[in-house]
Amino acid sequence: MKCVIAFKWAKNPQDARVSADGAVDWRAAKMVATDDDAAAVVVARDLAAGDELVGLTVGDGDVAWAAARGASSTLSVADVEPNADSAVLGEVLAAGVRRIGGADIVIIGDGVWDQMVAMSLAGQLGWAALAGVVSATAEGDRLHVTRKSGTGTEVIEVGTPVVLAVAARRAEDKPPGMKDVLAARKKPLEKVAMADLGVTSVGGVTVRGTALPEAADARIFDGADPEGAVEQLMTALRSEGVL
Amino acid sequence: MDSWIIVTEAGPVAGVTAAARELGGTVTAAVVGPRPLAESTAACGCDSVQWFSTPDGVPAEALALQVTDLVAAASPRLVLALDDPAGRVLLAVAATRLVGAALVSSVPRLSVEGDNLVVTRPAVEGRVVETLVVPGALAGVFDGEDVDVVSRAPAAITEVAPSGMAPSMRIIETTVAPGEAAGLQQAERVVSIGRGVRKREDIALVEELADAAHAKMACTLPICDDMRWYDESHVVGTSTQQIAPDLYIAVGVSGQPQHMSGVRAAKVIVAINNDPEATIFKKCHFGILGDLYEIVPALTAAFKRA
Repeated sequence: MKCVIAFKWAKNPQDARVSADGAVDWRAAKMVATDDDAAAVVVARDLAAGDELVGLTVGDGDVAWAAARGASSTLSVADVEPNADSAVLGEVLAAGVRRIGGADIVIIGDGVWDQMVAMSLAGQLGWAALAGVVSATAEGDRLHVTRKSGTGTEVIEVGTPVVLAVAARRAEDKPPGMKDVLAARKKPLEKVAMADLGVTSVGGVTVRGTALPEAADARIFDGADPEGAVEQLMTALRSEGVL
Repeated sequence: MDSWIIVTEAGPVAGVTAAARELGGTVTAAVVGPRPLAESTAACGCDSVQWFSTPDGVPAEALALQVTDLVAAASPRLVLALDDPAGRVLLAVAATRLVGAALVSSVPRLSVEGDNLVVTRPAVEGRVVETLVVPGALAGVFDGEDVDVVSRAPAAITEVAPSGMAPSMRIIETTVAPGEAAGLQQAERVVSIGRGVRKREDIALVEELADAAHAKMACTLPICDDMRWYDESHVVGTSTQQIAPDLYIAVGVSGQPQHMSGVRAAKVIVAINNDPEATIFKKCHFGILGDLYEIVPALTAAFKRA
């Protein structure tokens, strides 16, 4: 089955600079692949099973990330910035999937930094979708998808086309070696702009501003005197009604 | 301005209903799941419940179009869903069917200013608070706190007739959470350990605290995956399980977002750590800055006396 792996569509908040007045400067931050992206590409490789696997990415950063992990080619929509309205990025990615064409399955990281982008992509494609996906296998022309449900898991049988949003359990186990990274840079890469895909939406959200959070109301006791600190803590817990 | 909420699992339904009430109009709940879920939602303060029964083996996502047909026909200003996989899928489909709707992944607090909806939420991993203004329709994931239910008569439940279409997906296997083996879901008190605990033998020190406090033991992901000191049933965090004890005592836990999102619903969080810069001191209610090897025995003795 032809699969699209959508990857590297968010900036790492840890790379943003927050100034004393609460303003956020994202200039030093680039789009990066996340642990969820790494888990998604594993699922994508399994499902593609030798058929075509195409990468889809946006913005700046490493466009060859998926190619180094098995994608045969990549479509990059370069002029994309993060948007507080998840529907904007969902629309860009959906347009990218249509541009690639012929996909049976789109696999994307669930997205710890914006967990509605993957869902919006599915909604705008009009495809079925499952989130919180752990793994998936192809059974004939159907898929058996394991996803988190409540505090357990469910295996769901679903047909195609479908969008699977994969949630990582942990960091990537086996990053590709230098040979794969270098080979990836020679794989076909198509760069387009949002306008080439007919995407003009700016979203329905205005960010009025950011501010530093109110000072944490945590009370920290000095443990240099362990007994004294514990006594203060126990008094506080009693007043909270949790003892 | 009317609102809808989408409920596919148990969760902070009273909280999401109260957030939708901020708009002042009616609040309609679309409940997708078994009858008890519709009944518990009806008791949480909404005006009416549209109940979509899920036949055995059919996940809520299979009813996405039918549910959002009803939501879109009502053309509400606001649709909120809870933070669970099926709820998110349905919310996104609803967003695409509401003209010009914005889709916001985190809506903990909501207010109305004139014709605008205003969302205030943590951003940049909690380092700032961001204010969003939404002039049109808004579809959002509610990730705020639950509230106590205001005493009022349960809302009427209307069962929506099945569409008659064959479901596009079906559940073929369900696995109970490993977490239930450790009893963390129901625990009123939980003590957890992180990498601040230096050796496997030192766990006994913390387990003694848990015994004295009548608490269950939990841990961070590296304690399970890297150190293998506990099995997965004890791990708390984004990728494992979310818990809501009255008291959560984190011993030698740095406070990474991956872990802290698993205890967001805890009533009181206590941190014991020797690093004044540890993130957890910004995310707890009470903390003791000091050597856990001195603090934990003292705390154990205090619980034994209590």
